[in-house]
Amino acid sequence: MSAEIENGLVVEKVHTAYDKADVLEDVSLTAQSGKITCLLGSNGSGKTTLIRSILGLTPPNSGRIVFDGTELTGLPSHRIIATGIACIPEGRKVFPRLTVEENLRLGAYQEKSPKVLADRLEQAYHTFPQLRERRAQLAGTMSGGEQAMVSIGRGLMRAPRLLLIDEPSLGLSPILVKQNFDIIRRINEQNITVFLVEQNVHQTLEIAHHGYVLSKGRIVAAGTPEELGRDREVHRAYFG
Amino acid sequence: MDLGLFSQYVMNGLMLGMMYALVAVGFTLFFGVLDVINFSHGDVLMVGSFTGLATYLGLDALGVVWPAFQVTAVLAAATLAMALLGAVIARYLVLPLKSAPALNTLLITLMLGTVLREGIRMFYPEGANPKPFPALLPTDAYPLGNFNLRIDNLLMLSAGLVVIVGVHLLINRTKLGLAIRAVAQDEETAKTMGINFNLVVLVTFAIGSALAAFAGIMNGLYYNETNFGIGLLLGVIGFSSAIIGGLGNIYGAIIGGFLFAALQTVGAVALPFASAYKDVFAFGVVILIMAWRPTGLISEKVSERV
Repeated sequence: MSAEIENGLVVEKVHTAYDKADVLEDVSLTAQSGKITCLLGSNGSGKTTLIRSILGLTPPNSGRIVFDGTELTGLPSHRIIATGIACIPEGRKVFPRLTVEENLRLGAYQEKSPKVLADRLEQAYHTFPQLRERRAQLAGTMSGGEQAMVSIGRGLMRAPRLLLIDEPSLGLSPILVKQNFDIIRRINEQNITVFLVEQNVHQTLEIAHHGYVLSKGRIVAAGTPEELGRDREVHRAYFG
Repeated sequence: MDLGLFSQYVMNGLMLGMMYALVAVGFTLFFGVLDVINFSHGDVLMVGSFTGLATYLGLDALGVVWPAFQVTAVLAAATLAMALLGAVIARYLVLPLKSAPALNTLLITLMLGTVLREGIRMFYPEGANPKPFPALLPTDAYPLGNFNLRIDNLLMLSAGLVVIVGVHLLINRTKLGLAIRAVAQDEETAKTMGINFNLVVLVTFAIGSALAAFAGIMNGLYYNETNFGIGLLLGVIGFSSAIIGGLGNIYGAIIGGFLFAALQTVGAVALPFASAYKDVFAFGVVILIMAWRPTGLISEKVSERV
């Protein structure tokens, strides 16, 4: 069991202060290797702050973050990414004035081999055939759904061992949300560890193996999807 | 005006425009990656021209008189030294102030410019006096009517063009350029792509400062002299050109540089007052342009930043 915990993302007693409003207090959680772990919480609960802390954008004030035995706390973002992490950020964050292909290439920025890069690009176009037709289009001129494809494709270009996904359903139509969750499941089936941050309780619990609930910067509940589905804290965190 | 004389003015305008464009590209690159104005940029240009001059004098003292080698060595020494200086400025003055208000960066680079200027004036041998700049290029001229086509002007113009095309290719066709554009558009997302942000900033400052050194050498060759104060006016002109073009846009900066030179040339030639007022005229027009288009001729919203 402990060896399994070593493998994956371990967040230990993290405190992060960010813009004074959005803070994390004593957050501990584990995203086990090969599994989908979700973090549920309403707006302003600190979900995005945790992602930012993991990525080194807003380093924690105290506590540790460890991935596959490598301590990430205190490392600059590009070295955190180098440990095998990729992120599909909240709001998709495509580079609006770069083409689709340039966006995808940036996803594999640390990849040195041109052959590997070409293979990954081919794979991304295979997953999202629409993107191949629009490879030369500026990403900022695309629809929200298409930008979501660019953002997901870009995250996969890294061929990460751990993928952080922040609110993939935000601002998308129900059909696209469903597609996105199917894609996340398929990503996980390729043995990529997924840490999924969401507001959308039902669909998230359907695909997750394990989950946590964050409220006002604290973890208030943890367990399997079945346990969380019954948990009062979950309802309180959202509706109370 | 006859065609020969007209060609002469166009040639002079192109030479000046090339220098201004090179300086303006630096301002716009720095603003692109870091949203800062580096007001020491003009003085970096001046130090670059003195580095070139000192390299020439050193080679001369060693008895190296082969012209092609001289000009290569002067250019290489000036651009490499200024690239290093630019990276040092970014690392020790600009990046540490990243979380401070942008005005602080403006002030600290303004002060650094003064330090560089006064440093050359006091510590370069007789630095307070204008220095003759050696003619490193062949000065043969072909008279075409009233127009004297000088080989050195033609060479400088071609070299400037090559440099500008080089910058364009670097920004648009290389992985480094992609990283610079990504950082300019969205710093945080660029970091999560695994881009080493600090390194990109250092390299960008190195590139911009090397371009300034190139312009500084061009300036020395064009006027046959250099002095410790050239960076002041060239800095303000380069900054104005970058602003007219829409700060953050490389092509806007290049257009702005040539536009400013065109205004100066018109001010010196076509208007009924003494040519000493050419800068007054050019800056006056810049003020009018800014009043008409506050975000520059190519506004950042529609243009591709960096």
